Amino acid sequence: MAKGSGIIERSLLTDDQIMEYENLVMDGIDISGRWNTMLKTRVHSRPELDSWDEIRQSFIGASIDNCIQCGMCTAGCTVAHEIPEFNPRQFIYWVRTGRQDELIKNADVIWRCVGCYICTNHCPKEVNTAEVIESIGQWLHRTVPEKMDQAFKANHETYRHQLFTYGRLSLPRLQAEFLSRTGRRQELFTSEMRKTAMKMLKDGRVMRTLFIGKPRRWSRSAMFLTHQQA
Amino acid sequence: MMKTAYFPGCSLKTIDRAYDISTRVVAKDLEMTLVDVEDYSCCGAGELKGEGLKSHFLPARNLAHLLAQGETEVMVSCNVCYHELSRTAYTFDVGGKVSEDITAMLKEADEPPLTEKPSVRNTLEYLVNVIGLDTIAKHVKVPLTGLRVAPYYGCLYHRPGKMLSSVQIAGEDTEHPHFMHDLLKTLGATVVSHPAETTCCGGKNLLSDDRTSGRLTGRILSQAKSSGADVLALMCPKCAGGLDALQSRAINAVGDNAELPVMYYTQLIGIAFGHQPNELYVGDMESDALGTIQQFLSRMEYSLPAQ
Repeated sequence: MAKGSGIIERSLLTDDQIMEYENLVMDGIDISGRWNTMLKTRVHSRPELDSWDEIRQSFIGASIDNCIQCGMCTAGCTVAHEIPEFNPRQFIYWVRTGRQDELIKNADVIWRCVGCYICTNHCPKEVNTAEVIESIGQWLHRTVPEKMDQAFKANHETYRHQLFTYGRLSLPRLQAEFLSRTGRRQELFTSEMRKTAMKMLKDGRVMRTLFIGKPRRWSRSAMFLTHQQA
Repeated sequence: MMKTAYFPGCSLKTIDRAYDISTRVVAKDLEMTLVDVEDYSCCGAGELKGEGLKSHFLPARNLAHLLAQGETEVMVSCNVCYHELSRTAYTFDVGGKVSEDITAMLKEADEPPLTEKPSVRNTLEYLVNVIGLDTIAKHVKVPLTGLRVAPYYGCLYHRPGKMLSSVQIAGEDTEHPHFMHDLLKTLGATVVSHPAETTCCGGKNLLSDDRTSGRLTGRILSQAKSSGADVLALMCPKCAGGLDALQSRAINAVGDNAELPVMYYTQLIGIAFGHQPNELYVGDMESDALGTIQQFLSRMEYSLPAQ
């Protein structure tokens, strides 16, 4: 049996944090078997709390302080089902205990939230968990941009650029910008993509996307959105 | 005739015209006059949350234009637009500094003001709750008898419950929504319940995280298929991106069991109301929805009594 297999949320621990013995007698009582699994004491003496301040003061992360660590968010989480390291309860815990090292270690996991709002819906304390996780992702993006996945950065920048500049979303334009930002431009010309493009050209959908236009007097809003600090 | 303000959004205006046009066809049959929100902009597509307060600008702008047109209630087909507009309306209604900030943003961009909270309704709950299933049943000309349809709600139609009209006004269940089940039953279809009715398709990271989104879409499609569905009924163009246009990715992730025709529920209503598949643009779907519907209609021709 794997080490510490009886522990709930086992994926949060590494092997060297768990102690297990073949035979263990404490104070004359034999506790071999299921009850002899123990965790080494974890001491963290220098909490870095500026990330907590930044997130609780941000627009979307303000509800983080309501959290009571019950774990309802994580129990229903879509992504946790696919990626065991993705654990919203733990992310909130790390923010509030100043474990920036752990957050940064998981920089490539936290952004993978799919925004399905199961967590927000389940939360008994009205934490908007989905947006708190987004806010943690944004903090990581500002603090350690070099650790973030290229695709995450390209996705963020592409949507921001397309929506702020044009005010409306043209999906082919969006996909083209995303692929060229990630250096995967050649994927635009695969046979499957060509087939889809031909179909859309024939049935007139390409024309619809070309003439989507901008909202009236958009330039003023575009200026304001691009330059104003959030 | 009943006048209803309607917000199609970017995606429905272009690539996903099938959803927009089928909504309009169905609305016309049900004697609703749809008035488009003029000078619309994108709703934010659910991808601007990280921008904080600015994520409310685009939805607030649309709601302000709605009010300027003299309407206070809007019907939205796209689930993402529905979520974004509801989120802003809810946040504005909470009041305090946030709503002052939203008002200030609109003023700075020289847009009409947001004076009250508009009511944002989803097409599905509007059809079930305001139009009524009895009225819909009266319009059914070709009952979908024998067509096994798996409903798929996605996420943003019923979550988070406290912001959305589907839950607050219409009384939808946030864990087990059932309006699409009820609607499809009214059309005469065999409704196939499956475990992935409300599982997320990974739409937010459709572009950036193909591994997760491929596995999530694969799971939805294969669970619907192994529950015995002929076709999956959708209500969100972002889900259509993953489940229909990128179905090949789902098949790569979980195998051939994920190959399933996918179409919008409004198209199914249109078919039941006696419209032809080309009027409803069923051929726009990448999966073989057209084949399934044509097969169904040819079967119906033999079973319907000759008039």
